[in-house]
Amino acid sequence: MELIELNINGENIEIPVEKNWTLLYVIRDVLDLTGAKCGCSTGDCGACKVIIDGEAVNSCLVRAVNAVGKKIETVEGLAKGTELHPIQRAFIDCGAVQCGYCTPGMIMSAKALLDKNLNPTDEEIKQAISNNLCRCTGYVKIEDAIRQAAKVMRGEE
Amino acid sequence: MLLGNQLESNGKVGKNTPIRDAVAKVTGQAKYTGDLKLPRMLYGKMLFSPHAHAKIVNIDTSEAEALPGVRAVVCYKNSPDVFFNSCGEDIDGIKNEKVFDDTVRFVGDKVAAVAADTQAIADKAVKLIKVEYEQLPFNLDPEKALDEDTYPIHEGGNLMEVVEQNAGDCEAAFAKADRVYEGKYILPAIHHSAIETHAAVADYDADGKLTVYSTSQDVFAHRINLSRIFGIPQNKVRCVVTTLGGGFGGKIDMVCEPVASLLAIKTGRPVKLQYTRGEDIPSSRTRHNMVVSLKMGVMNDGTIVAQDYNIIVNAGAYASGTSSVTWAMCGKLFRIQKTPNIHFKGTAVYTNRVSGGAMRGFGSPQEFFAQQRLMNEIAKDLNLDITEFNLKNLMDEDGKDPRWNSDLGSTCVKQCVSKGRELFGWEEGLKEMEASAAENGRYRIGVGMAVAAHGNGVFGVHPDTTGVSIKMNEDGSASFTTGVSDMGNGSVTAQTMFIADILGLPMDKIAVVQADTESTMFDLGNYSSRGTFVSAHAAAAVAQQVADKLIAEACEIFEEEAGDIYLENEQAISRKSGKSASLMELVSHARHTHNKDVFATDTFCSIGMAMSYGAHFVKVQVDTETGEVKPLDYVAFHDVGTVVNPMNIEGQIEGAVQMGLGYALSEGVEYDAKGKITNANFRRYRIFNSTQMPPIRIGFTENSEPCGPYGAKSIGECSTVPAVSAITNAVSNAVGCDFHQVPLKPEVIKAALAEK
Repeated sequence: MELIELNINGENIEIPVEKNWTLLYVIRDVLDLTGAKCGCSTGDCGACKVIIDGEAVNSCLVRAVNAVGKKIETVEGLAKGTELHPIQRAFIDCGAVQCGYCTPGMIMSAKALLDKNLNPTDEEIKQAISNNLCRCTGYVKIEDAIRQAAKVMRGEE
Repeated sequence: MLLGNQLESNGKVGKNTPIRDAVAKVTGQAKYTGDLKLPRMLYGKMLFSPHAHAKIVNIDTSEAEALPGVRAVVCYKNSPDVFFNSCGEDIDGIKNEKVFDDTVRFVGDKVAAVAADTQAIADKAVKLIKVEYEQLPFNLDPEKALDEDTYPIHEGGNLMEVVEQNAGDCEAAFAKADRVYEGKYILPAIHHSAIETHAAVADYDADGKLTVYSTSQDVFAHRINLSRIFGIPQNKVRCVVTTLGGGFGGKIDMVCEPVASLLAIKTGRPVKLQYTRGEDIPSSRTRHNMVVSLKMGVMNDGTIVAQDYNIIVNAGAYASGTSSVTWAMCGKLFRIQKTPNIHFKGTAVYTNRVSGGAMRGFGSPQEFFAQQRLMNEIAKDLNLDITEFNLKNLMDEDGKDPRWNSDLGSTCVKQCVSKGRELFGWEEGLKEMEASAAENGRYRIGVGMAVAAHGNGVFGVHPDTTGVSIKMNEDGSASFTTGVSDMGNGSVTAQTMFIADILGLPMDKIAVVQADTESTMFDLGNYSSRGTFVSAHAAAAVAQQVADKLIAEACEIFEEEAGDIYLENEQAISRKSGKSASLMELVSHARHTHNKDVFATDTFCSIGMAMSYGAHFVKVQVDTETGEVKPLDYVAFHDVGTVVNPMNIEGQIEGAVQMGLGYALSEGVEYDAKGKITNANFRRYRIFNSTQMPPIRIGFTENSEPCGPYGAKSIGECSTVPAVSAITNAVSNAVGCDFHQVPLKPEVIKAALAEK
């Protein structure tokens, strides 16, 4: 075990970890932040996406020890109390949520995109979630939600 | 008939309504089975068979047991010797699965399991289990299952069941037909690939009570099965679903539940067992691999006079839901076209593959693939437009099942084709395809379509019941309980919409406890397209009873007749006098005047035979050099009766298109010669991602189903059925190859083009 400090959702957390523990394992099983899901553990489904230093990454492929000193965002950090982030609101309103298992990962990919680009093209939206698999929605309403959230975040609605 | 159209509408039905637990899901707060952590919980790990068929001569678990942190190791030697059928619909049918057996029947079959303090210890421990196998002959090919020299997988041989149904006289009709066509089609096994893998958390307490939280579409059947396996009365077995991460039929069967339960019973501690993706694909369930032979007799004007289906259904290693799938798929063929002579023979056989089970569409995609593929080729031969050929043969709006001349409800399948082709721009599509063929360049455009049917519930097969309880709270809000475990498809949302509409309450003033055998009334299970048609109908029926009771209180307060009073905006209102009382006042009146709560509990049984229909149209581009297919445009036109929740129904259809595209082009479980699945991960088992999807446009017929709540019918399964056929037809038309198998991966298309 090695004692490390992780910065998650703006909070510094000291935590003993094994070298081979993934960031996903630490987030879910040690810190009980169960929003991120495991759908494959091979980096192919995106259910475990978190944002590290602005980039959406599969936390199942990152070792926790390699996330030290970086800014980690998980889905739990988005809402302020009962006030939802515009992306969360748009996912609800546009019908982008069905079973919800891919949803936290989708939202983190969407946030990484919109944090950098508030005017994404349809193609950029598709690309941003191309590593996030969904078996329920056919992605249509997820893309609608990201467009809608961008509008709100641009202050147009 | 009972509900809906006569009621004062409070405006919920027909409006876009988000799924009711969406806030929990977007914030990451929804608790799925794998998120649960109970005090002293242990972690489970399964050991799977590396052989397609083998007798276990010996298992030495001593080294695993000696590993510090290991609390239990289970295998056939210390598990119940009880046969069961894992699928609720077939729970009293053929039983040939055990928690663990001394024979393994497919690569991925259960051999042993460990419970340990951590997942890492459990993972290490299973590798220390030493198993001595005596390999047995095995067979992967369903067409060889009944050969004399094929080794029997179960006592009694490899024939599981033959299902045969008939209308008219096919042989006589073939003799008189102008032309007779035949085709043989092979559909691979498909994995459901819900992003949540199968999981169970089982807890066994000192009072002998077993509580199982799991990824279940059918908690009541799981309770029956677990009660029988472990000899525990049902009052001491509780099955619960917290939140379900997708089902598609794959979570009807018990998968992790029996083993997690056994480990919990052995240790007296909670045990979590969740499959990895690499375990889920080879060891849960799949859509059935089928071989469909079809003979069609046709007149020169395009009238189909006879259809003879001979289908081999590959059950895989265990019975599971195969019998129900074979029976259910049979019925659909008699409920879409006017053909008077139809013969269906389905032969279900065992092979040494992972068990086939329920999957969205329940056998329909396979049989309609044969029908719609063969019709596509017949249309070319007779120089008919495929949409016209379909319209000539589809039922009118008063369609009947020719076997019994029985009604099928509102059958608007023709509208799906005629309005769908208009929305798609079929004529323009055909012209584009012709131009592309004339140009004969690298990229070829193809358009294709297909039409199909699916059912609504299981009326005629099982008592099709859902029980619901609704109680009014002291402040006039309501709480209800239902056995439905919503997979994400919105069944509980539909229930809540109907209750809200009937009681005049906003949806956020209605709480629900769902899918808990302890506190909810029995529900037959979340399958067979029962969600809206049966379970939401049940909620509406019980809500109507509560509404009647509330109105009875209002009658006393207003001193008026019930017929003059309706519920709206959390009030009872008199049309006659304009008097009003809040629901809170009515509840208080019941309590203080009659010493009663306002509630209703009842079981609703569906006795409606209704069919849902859909026609799908697709345009594809095929790269003749690489064999790659790019879907360019998609239209799905459906008959769902009343469109209860447009946004939600569209979402179901869009997801079904994603599934159909994968079925047609990129999925398919693949086996090596020894029976091992070679694409058991998402890198090799390719489901469609966002960049591969075409734009999708959706339309609905305008009709109301007499047997459905508010006139509504099902969509989830029906929307999956035509997709694989429509896409394959489009690709076939684009390149002029008559494909008899899917998936049409690039190498398949290149080989077909080379052969041409």
